[in-house]
Amino acid sequence: MKIRKFVLLGSLVAACLLLLTLQMRGYGSAARDVFAVVTAPIQTGLAKASRATFGLWATYLDWKNVRAENRRLREEVQELRVQGLRVTETSDENRRLRRLLALQEHLPLTTLSGEVIAREWGGWIRSLTVNRGRGDNVPRLTAVISPSGLIGRVVDVRPGVSIVQVLTDPTSTVGAHVLRTRTPGIVEGDPRGTLRFKFMARDGASIQTGDVLVTAGQGGLFPRGIPIGTVRTIDNRGAALFHYAEITPAVDFARVDEVLLVTGDAQHDLTAFFPTGG
Amino acid sequence: MRALLVLTIAGGSVAHATLTPLVSIAGVTPDLPLIMVVLLALRRGPEFGSLSGFVTGLLQDAAGGGLIGVQAMTKAVIGFSIGAAGARLRVSQPLVQVPGLVVLTIAEGLARFALLQIFRFPAPFGELMMYVVLPQALCNGFVGAAVVLALAWAQTVRGRLEGSRA
Repeated sequence: MKIRKFVLLGSLVAACLLLLTLQMRGYGSAARDVFAVVTAPIQTGLAKASRATFGLWATYLDWKNVRAENRRLREEVQELRVQGLRVTETSDENRRLRRLLALQEHLPLTTLSGEVIAREWGGWIRSLTVNRGRGDNVPRLTAVISPSGLIGRVVDVRPGVSIVQVLTDPTSTVGAHVLRTRTPGIVEGDPRGTLRFKFMARDGASIQTGDVLVTAGQGGLFPRGIPIGTVRTIDNRGAALFHYAEITPAVDFARVDEVLLVTGDAQHDLTAFFPTGG
Repeated sequence: MRALLVLTIAGGSVAHATLTPLVSIAGVTPDLPLIMVVLLALRRGPEFGSLSGFVTGLLQDAAGGGLIGVQAMTKAVIGFSIGAAGARLRVSQPLVQVPGLVVLTIAEGLARFALLQIFRFPAPFGELMMYVVLPQALCNGFVGAAVVLALAWAQTVRGRLEGSRA
């Protein structure tokens, strides 16, 4: 049994040596050709199969990479959008503050800038809470303005904050006149959150849609000439003593974030410092 | 089973030349037919080892384009030796098989070098050992370890399946 093993090994070694010797003596090409006839088609097939398999694998990997990249890019886009929003927000804030600062610098009044930190928008009351209070020596009934126009007046001063009654508050009234015709009247808020101008019928015949209303400045509470809004519609009540006009406010009260509190002497005409469209 | 073995030995050897570049690790290609021969010889003895080594080597020589017979002889001898040693030594342990594969690869390299020297093959011994034989031996060790573990796992699974059927 053992001899058989060694005979087998010896035969195999002898065959190899014979093959090698034949090749060294120049008879190897025939043997190689025979092997090539057998191996070449197999190798060709295998090469094709492996290329196809690895091609599929490569395609799969590419697809996987594209998916991962797509996910990453989506996240990046999301992040950039948030960043973009932040930048826009900052830019908007910057622009608003610049306008406010410019107004504060140009106005011939003593003012105090403040930031709106809360809003009461329920209908019964329409007010803003500003981060300036008793510590800032804010007097009650201080006029509150923005670069676009009048916002309202301070009705309550607390430690650290002031409550500003907005013009659209149902109990708010402000003496005003039409800039073009000088027609006097009163701007009132109403529960719907809109403004209306109440004027005497005999004085208001020439009021037109689009006319700008500014503060009258009588009573010393509000400086004269601060824009309140523009006439949207006129409610002609025929023979009634008073007529009304619906007003579009100059200030978007729902969006105002920074305000100026007029803390000093309010006896000035400010018409020239605000955009009134005329 | 025998047909599968023949297909594995013959096909694997021919496929080696075509597919090996695809499984190279850092530019070093494992000698998969040698690993196959060693594992087969360990399981089936010296006769099968020498025969499978001869066929594998012959096909590798033919497919690779070298002198036909060199690898046939070295692999036949390796197959025979490991098949004979398997019966006497405790070579069934993976911890023995893996370093054994490294040693066998080096031995096969040395044998091949010696044989080529007889047939006047010009190759510097040092460089051949440093850049071809030793890296391939290590590579064979790692790949062999993976193959041995995979086979052991397959056997365990097979045993469990047969146990559950019984």
